[in-house]
Amino acid sequence: MKTIKFFIPLLVMGTIVLSSCRKEGCTDATAVNYNEEAKKDDGSCEFVGQGAVTVEMSHVWGMSAAPFDLNTELIHPMTSDTMTYSTFKYYISNFQLKTAEGTWWTHPESYFLVDHSAPASLNLSLSGVPEGNYTDIRYTLGVDSVRNVSGAQSGALSTTNGMFWSWSTGYIMVKAEGTSPNASSGSFSFHLGGFSGANNIVTTKEHSFGATLTVTKSNSPKVMLSTNAARMFHNYGSISAGSTVHMPGATAASLADGFYGGVNFVGIQ
Amino acid sequence: MSKLIYILLGVFFLFSCRKDLIENITPFEFNAPDYFPTLHYSFNNNEVTQEKFDLGKRLFFDKLLSSDNTISCESCHAQVHAFADHNVALSSGVEGRLGFRNSPTLANLAWSPSFMWDGGVNHIEIFSVAPITDSTEMNETMQNVIDKLNADASYVQQFKEAYGVNEVDDQAMFRALTVYMMMIVSDESKYDKWMKGKTSFTQEESAGKDLFEQKCSSCHSGALQTDYSFRNNGLDAVFTDLGRGRITLEENDYGKFKVPSLRNVALTYPYMHDGRFFNLRDVLDHYDEGIVASETLDPLLTSGIPMTEEEKDAIAAFLETLTDYELLNTYWLNQ
Repeated sequence: MKTIKFFIPLLVMGTIVLSSCRKEGCTDATAVNYNEEAKKDDGSCEFVGQGAVTVEMSHVWGMSAAPFDLNTELIHPMTSDTMTYSTFKYYISNFQLKTAEGTWWTHPESYFLVDHSAPASLNLSLSGVPEGNYTDIRYTLGVDSVRNVSGAQSGALSTTNGMFWSWSTGYIMVKAEGTSPNASSGSFSFHLGGFSGANNIVTTKEHSFGATLTVTKSNSPKVMLSTNAARMFHNYGSISAGSTVHMPGATAASLADGFYGGVNFVGIQ
Repeated sequence: MSKLIYILLGVFFLFSCRKDLIENITPFEFNAPDYFPTLHYSFNNNEVTQEKFDLGKRLFFDKLLSSDNTISCESCHAQVHAFADHNVALSSGVEGRLGFRNSPTLANLAWSPSFMWDGGVNHIEIFSVAPITDSTEMNETMQNVIDKLNADASYVQQFKEAYGVNEVDDQAMFRALTVYMMMIVSDESKYDKWMKGKTSFTQEESAGKDLFEQKCSSCHSGALQTDYSFRNNGLDAVFTDLGRGRITLEENDYGKFKVPSLRNVALTYPYMHDGRFFNLRDVLDHYDEGIVASETLDPLLTSGIPMTEEEKDAIAAFLETLTDYELLNTYWLNQ
């Protein structure tokens, strides 16, 4: 009996102390009841007044906005090159929305790999947007230099996506590959990147909606952007002069400049 | 009596929740002598734990990282050779394919600001992508590696314990490998014991140290004998390997390679980026009388580094003191 008397309080004390070591609470920093001291999430997070915005990318070919698709013969409107794409991918990141009050809301961990072969990747979901009215959008084409120099990343920036140069650290920010009778080798392969100095291709763009985008808990509006794949050759010209770029440099910068000029705001919905 | 036990237990539990006390008794942590340079790797996002280290070690020795399951990191970075290759000029990858540069030692990478002979890799965490995906090394895709690891329940469990992830991902894999590599610290050589005042140099070693400081230490500087700069040390007039220039695309950098640390240099022959010199005397002879002029030759080497044969003997004796035999026998770095 004496031993039981001893153990029961001991057990109770042990349990209390043990659980107090792993304090439970809301561990999501974006929640209104975020608890800094909580080590373990208990599902109590409350997100008041947040909605979502979808950025919908569409891919077109040329100024006339002809349809773009993979494994389809396309004629370049300016160079008249015949091109059949097998791969068309690019990074878009760091979305921000401007409130009607003029301040910018920043989407955290905002990295997306748009891959034409995976239709779902063309709908970029920005969650946790505070309820309110927005007038402008800002985003980065490519991957900012910080993420190119900070070691192992995850999600869209994982090396498993095959958008990373191993021998000279950096993200392949745009990848366009395919075949063309105009290329001397019969195929083309443009891997564009570069995040520092003259070779930097990371570009920030901003568009005004010309209207108000209203975000509520129940309303998830859309921002529509269009990417003109043909515009990559706006400065570069015909691929008959060269159809492979696999490193940062002046050529990649010229191709990227043309390409990024072809990403434009279409409307909101 | 029993009340006293409760009080004691209560006090014990109270303290067990205090993080600082727990950390003080952690038996496994990163350590280095105070005379080493400023640490480059930040452990902020990747604190050393026993679980991460054990996982990193398992990955380091696992041939699953290669396309045909024949090559591991350890294949070309062996502990018996101070984590360099087995005294070969170029390393063999899958199907015996030869790489194009010599595999350097992995010791003391925590202090290195860049990686590879040309400094093309800017962070140790993403270093491993290069050997894993290179067709002359492991020849594997990152997706396949992650799939293979996820197919092994014991790996999935180990990743969960080390990084709290339910599925293996490349970020956790790279960070685990990094923890293992960061723990390869070579700081028990005779030179280190001398630095700590635990031993003295022979007359020849001491003379060699003085000569080394006069003739070599403007590039091989500090306690790790490198300033991590890129320099052309007069190997060739025509560059078959552009070295640093391959990364920066600047003509000014053609033929430049990273100044390597000389820790364990006696064990890590052959030398230079292509392993052209098989012994230390060849290297010293090169600096004495073999410097080849070119556009980007380092200004410090335009007249070579004149040395008598006796001076070379003494410098070689000093370089031998940089050998860390304890590193070769550190059991916990081995499988």
